[in-house]
Amino acid sequence: MKRLLFLILTGIVAATANPALAQDPIKIGLMCPLTGSWAAEGKDMKQIVELLADQVNNEGGLLGKEVKIVIGDDSGDPRTAALAAQRMATREVAAVIGTYGSSITEASQNIYASANIIQVANGSTAVRLTEKGLPYFFRTCPRDDEQGRVAVKTLLDSGYENIAILHDNTTYAKGLADEAKKLLDQKEVNIVFFDALTPGEQDYGTILSKMKTKDPDVVFFTGYYPEAGLMLRQKMEKGWDVPFIGGDATNNPDLVKIAGNKAAEGFRFLSPPVPGDLPTKEAREFLEAYEAAYHTTPGSIWAVLAGDGFRVIVEAIKQTQSTDTQKMADYLHNEMEGFSGLTGDIAFNQKGDRIGDVYRVYRVDAGGNFVLTE
Amino acid sequence: MEQFFTQLTNGLAVGGIYALIALGYTMVYGVLKLINFAHGDLFTIGAYLGLTLLTSLALTDHIGGIAGILLLAVMAMGLVGIIGILLDRAAYKPLRTSPRLSAVVSALGASIVLSNTVMLVYGPSTRVYPQGLLPSQVFYIFGLPVPVMRFIILGASILLMIGLYVFIQRTKIGTAIRAAAIDQDAARLMGINVDRVIMLVFFIGPALGGAAGVMVGLYYGQITFTMGWTYGLKAFTAAILGGIGNIPGAMVGGLLLGVIEALGAAYISMAWKDAIAFFVLILILIVRPTGLLGERVAEKI
Repeated sequence: MKRLLFLILTGIVAATANPALAQDPIKIGLMCPLTGSWAAEGKDMKQIVELLADQVNNEGGLLGKEVKIVIGDDSGDPRTAALAAQRMATREVAAVIGTYGSSITEASQNIYASANIIQVANGSTAVRLTEKGLPYFFRTCPRDDEQGRVAVKTLLDSGYENIAILHDNTTYAKGLADEAKKLLDQKEVNIVFFDALTPGEQDYGTILSKMKTKDPDVVFFTGYYPEAGLMLRQKMEKGWDVPFIGGDATNNPDLVKIAGNKAAEGFRFLSPPVPGDLPTKEAREFLEAYEAAYHTTPGSIWAVLAGDGFRVIVEAIKQTQSTDTQKMADYLHNEMEGFSGLTGDIAFNQKGDRIGDVYRVYRVDAGGNFVLTE
Repeated sequence: MEQFFTQLTNGLAVGGIYALIALGYTMVYGVLKLINFAHGDLFTIGAYLGLTLLTSLALTDHIGGIAGILLLAVMAMGLVGIIGILLDRAAYKPLRTSPRLSAVVSALGASIVLSNTVMLVYGPSTRVYPQGLLPSQVFYIFGLPVPVMRFIILGASILLMIGLYVFIQRTKIGTAIRAAAIDQDAARLMGINVDRVIMLVFFIGPALGGAAGVMVGLYYGQITFTMGWTYGLKAFTAAILGGIGNIPGAMVGGLLLGVIEALGAAYISMAWKDAIAFFVLILILIVRPTGLLGERVAEKI
């Protein structure tokens, strides 16, 4: 038994040591939820980043080397994310992309920071993530306070006076709800309802009935698309026709599948623009390549933002001709400007936040399509 | 008052589903003193199998809506029941003589395996049942709109539960199950094939869970591979609330839990809905440690 173990161990050492004799690839980590309730997002993130990495390799690689994606599954769970990050930190990655949920990213931030690895989050919009002064943390997604501002503007422009705000107690959704409430409190409107639902359930009849007794003009829901879809459907079954406005986590075509076209029609949500609405060459080419490879369109904007995370890392390595963390971070903080991403121009401020106005308002039409309103 | 009635119907509809799932926990516990944590995932499998059968066989096109749905539910129940038996063979039977803790760990492991299998087979995205199969009329009771499907769900759950109760109380096999629940060795001495009883219990419990899965899929439309966890936990709570091991207890516990949740959310706080439900559970267990109906019925199951 001991001999067998020895043989296996030497085998592993030989197998891992061999490629090192040839040429070391440049490794870029991707931390994403491949299991758990956000597994669909994670699968998309993986497909997009792998597609982009293949493109880079087909064009001759990076600094003459192959790009290799190292994948870590965070399960959409903070504890698993911490383990995945620790493992990732030992695998000599030049930088890490990810992850989706804010509370999940938060669990991994300090691990990457103490290992001096650049982290580019793609879906983590909670404000405090970039307020910690971490020198190597970036994100391609906007922040909740920005979204809060756009949400309040949309609500006020539509002339609503009695507003219900509903969140789901996750770091992200509560943050956005609090932000919107804070801004609305300064205005001449009433917040008639402010509470949370429990995500992952099927029956939101109780919550809808309770909100209905407060008779709001509009419901602003800051949670995720499965709950939003169910509520739209159940509110129609109850014959209640109050308009719903969602936060950016409702931007997923599954929302319409769950609610059905009839119930989803008229639902509005805030989101960074989807690639199909961007006029840039990069976005168009990316969409074509994605459809050719996977025969479908990317599910949500968040996975595409992981693709942008990959692209800014590649750009930083190219421009600095190195995989040195400090050099890359300096480049991203100070020099990158107007980099044409899949989701528009990208530049970062000193905190690592993306600069610029990204949020748009979308509306679901009668055919279940997401239409940009302006 | 209007709010009270609306929330009562909301609570009863969810409670009916909790109760159906709770029956699976309670039956297995009654006979084996084992908490089958994989039961919630069997419920998920029921929902997914229902969807597969519905879309691949097009039953509702051939033999009409209601009959098609009934046949579909029966088929899904049968398949989930068979999976339940296989689960017992693979995860629990080898541990029959081991300490009870080993079987619980095995149950948790089985739960992870099953939910990830569903994910690998059906993919991680949310799946959606086709719409328009069920009546979408709305009843008006004292001027309150109540979707007619809520009654159908509650009615179907109660029918299945009564059927099970009659089966356990009135038939010979039911008597054998009750005997095995009281004392397996004595039952064996009386000529009861205890292994077969256990097999039957692992068929009926998961089958009822599968039926609940199909009902959830048909009514709410949306199914995910992780949904078994939430429902499983609630149904387990319902089983404890009513007195685990006791069939009428599971029914009462399920309906009561649904109503407590709905009323707690309506009158106290929505965000604290689960906390309120568990607080009531603790209160009841302090007063009646064996659950609501745990003591009154002397024989378990």
